[in-house]
Amino acid sequence: MTAVIETEGLGKRYHKLWALADCTLSIPAGHVVGLVGPNGAGKSTLINLATGMLAPSAGTIEVLGGRPAAGPAQLARVGYLAQDAPVYAGFSIADHLRLGAHLNPGWDADMARGRIDRLDLDLHQKAGKLSGGQRAQVALTLAVAKRPELLILDEPVASLDPLARREFLQDLMETVADQEVSVVLSSHLISDLERVCDYVIVLVNSRVRVAGPVDELLAAHQLLSGPRRDPASLPDGLEVISASHTDVQSTLLVRSSGPVLDPVWTVSGVGLEDLALAYMKQPAARSHHLEVLK
Amino acid sequence: MMWLTWRQFRAQAITAVAALAAFAIVLALTESHMASMYDSSGLTSCHGGTCAGLATTFLVQLSSGQGVSFLPVGANVYVLLYFLSVLVILVAPVITGIFWGAPLIARELEAGTFRLTWNQSVTRTRWLTVKLALIGVAAMAVAEAFSLLQAWWAAPIGKAVGLGGGASIFGEGRFGWFVFPSHGITPLGYAAFAFALGVTVGLLIRRPIPAMAATLAIFAVFQAVVPLWIRPNLFPTSQTTATIAASGANVSLRANPGLRLTASIVPGQPGAWIISSEGVNAAGQQVGTIPASCEQAVSDALSPHTGTTGASGGSTALDNCVASHGIRVAESYQPASHYWPLQFAETGFYLALALALSWYCFWRLNRRRS
Repeated sequence: MTAVIETEGLGKRYHKLWALADCTLSIPAGHVVGLVGPNGAGKSTLINLATGMLAPSAGTIEVLGGRPAAGPAQLARVGYLAQDAPVYAGFSIADHLRLGAHLNPGWDADMARGRIDRLDLDLHQKAGKLSGGQRAQVALTLAVAKRPELLILDEPVASLDPLARREFLQDLMETVADQEVSVVLSSHLISDLERVCDYVIVLVNSRVRVAGPVDELLAAHQLLSGPRRDPASLPDGLEVISASHTDVQSTLLVRSSGPVLDPVWTVSGVGLEDLALAYMKQPAARSHHLEVLK
Repeated sequence: MMWLTWRQFRAQAITAVAALAAFAIVLALTESHMASMYDSSGLTSCHGGTCAGLATTFLVQLSSGQGVSFLPVGANVYVLLYFLSVLVILVAPVITGIFWGAPLIARELEAGTFRLTWNQSVTRTRWLTVKLALIGVAAMAVAEAFSLLQAWWAAPIGKAVGLGGGASIFGEGRFGWFVFPSHGITPLGYAAFAFALGVTVGLLIRRPIPAMAATLAIFAVFQAVVPLWIRPNLFPTSQTTATIAASGANVSLRANPGLRLTASIVPGQPGAWIISSEGVNAAGQQVGTIPASCEQAVSDALSPHTGTTGASGGSTALDNCVASHGIRVAESYQPASHYWPLQFAETGFYLALALALSWYCFWRLNRRRS
């Protein structure tokens, strides 16, 4: 499978500050990829570089094997829903569909119209009067009806209320299920992505902390709880991602190549949210020393 | 792209057409009366020296609103219309620069909609090309349309001034501070420049309102600097030396004891644009002070009892005294035949600036891309 986004030592500097530094990653095609990371990890910068909204200060980036925004053909292959779903406030929804039809040779008018009808939106409504959720739906319609090979969504649900969030993601899933399109969406809320992603990339300080298909990652991680002990004394093959201790008990999130057989531990599965949070919390230089928490 | 450009521009386009229509209607309603006044003034059949007097009579009649009974705006309706129409022509380019140019990119950047539009299957270069071409040409067309309408309306005034007449504000020749930039092809250059300036400033400032203010300020500076220092030098000036009387000059009393002469005629060059004039002696060297023996004439002229100050604030006795010392007037001027070359040169200057700014916008938009 080829990569939809491939970066090598990618960096973006504003004056003296690096918003993204030395980022090397490869995002495979055919997935719904969640790009997760704390605020300031470089998610938006990475997405702006991938859509050609920014030029890199260092390194290289290829999107679907081409230079971002290099020409009309490259632009046609990538659908982009920017943060806060910008639309023209003075345009009606119908105007936005006309905009899409005039500016995209691959425009699927039936699909666009069908989506608006299905979402029960009024074509003549001015976009400036739409709710945040409706605006995001209109912007998503523009992004998908151009029939892209890759759909990039930057924090698509960050500004939506919980109900609109759920509806938007559900609609997104139905839409991409019908098309052969790879999706990359960023969020700082893993709970949003848990429902839709089958591949996750955790970005911390512009570095890839962990990446992989969600089911494989979940299978490879376990939560261990048992009597308090130093994580350094664990057998080989177990990598401690995070550890917390009380006076008598230790709880460890570990990555293991096989089943944990030591009967001292109570082993349980781990959710994507806990997994991602553990990787985000983990400091760059890992400490295996026992921390005494009061 | 054409559709999107039109969709975003149509409100402004309708406003511009409405403004042009209103301008045309007001001028058309008053044109026939002015034309009939001109026809009955005798200017159409005059010969030689009588024309200047008839022309002044016509312009005086016009400025005093003689025979005007069709509009309730007062007697000096033509003075008002002339002033306002010239003002509209001079202001139209910067208005389009402010309201069409400055928000063109700045509003997209401020609202974030550039992320929407620049991610359709159209490159930023094409987006900007269509926008700049269509709206820029519209701005130029509007400015020139105002100018042509006014030129048609004011044709009798121009003819009378050309025949040597002058009254009220109807005295400027074709090179005048207000007439030159409001006629010919210069409005095209101003409109193109103001529009490109607005777009560029908007791209740099990224917010429409401050960009509009900056566009106005920068354009105003250009409109002050170009007539004073650039326009006179767009073509090499011609030089001549004439007597004080022949050059229509007066010795300035205010500059006393310095010698300052302001010529109003270039002998043998009707309609020339006098750029500078100064007193010179027989050897052609500049004379900077009034000769000492003419001091009596100066004090006579300044005395409230014996003062013989003429209509133009000079003194004939002083002029004659200075002339008797062999002082003549050296004039530097653009002949009337340089009118169109100067029009083309100034328009070209502004069009070149507009192209340079446009090129910068293309470069800057694409620099953001990898």
